[in-house]
Amino acid sequence: MSKSRINNKIRKLRFDKDEMTQQQLAEQVGVTRQTIIAMEQSRYSPSLELAFRIALVFGVPLEQVFSYEPDDESK
Amino acid sequence: MSFQQKNIAVSLASFTLILGFFLFRVVQMTLNDSFISTSVFWLWGITIGLGIVVTIIGTILTHIVSTIIEAIQTGNKDPKVEDFEDERDQLIDLKGTKVAYLVFSIGTFLSMLTFVFDQPPLVMFTLLISFGLVAQIVGDISRLVLYRRGF
Repeated sequence: MSKSRINNKIRKLRFDKDEMTQQQLAEQVGVTRQTIIAMEQSRYSPSLELAFRIALVFGVPLEQVFSYEPDDESK
Repeated sequence: MSFQQKNIAVSLASFTLILGFFLFRVVQMTLNDSFISTSVFWLWGITIGLGIVVTIIGTILTHIVSTIIEAIQTGNKDPKVEDFEDERDQLIDLKGTKVAYLVFSIGTFLSMLTFVFDQPPLVMFTLLISFGLVAQIVGDISRLVLYRRGF
């Protein structure tokens, strides 16, 4: 399974926000629940627009939801 | 499994059966020495028609079955099936289409090669339709792989 180098804390933020379900988050940001599952498992890197929408739902800055893991060469 | 994945799986199964039917009939015609324009045109028509009808009926049936399953699982009398395409579905569809076009391009080139071996246009177009079906199948497989593996 290919893992993206963009990590996220969506799962943790969902639980911190009154144990929000994946379905509730999906409905609020306008995607399917499968996409939320794929993002939580780092199998999909969202578009910038979707990333901002997710951050807005949790009311935190983008960098608190997503982090980027650079290559060893570019470190 | 999401609605989109089920739809792709149904399409994959249908087009595999159509390709099987097409190749079976082509082999049968070749063995019976009836590989002539009238019977081959009939076969092309049937194959293309089947492809269109099966795609439409497959989508409708997948929707109905998904709704019934959702109703049974949730106990909801008015279940909602997530049948809309979000950005991930659209991206996977685009990548699958790209793979299908690549396969079809190679198939078109190989079909053209039949002219080099002095084969009639009937053979070229039959190969072209076969590669069209193979391209659809490979595209569907790559879509399912992308859904499972991620990207």
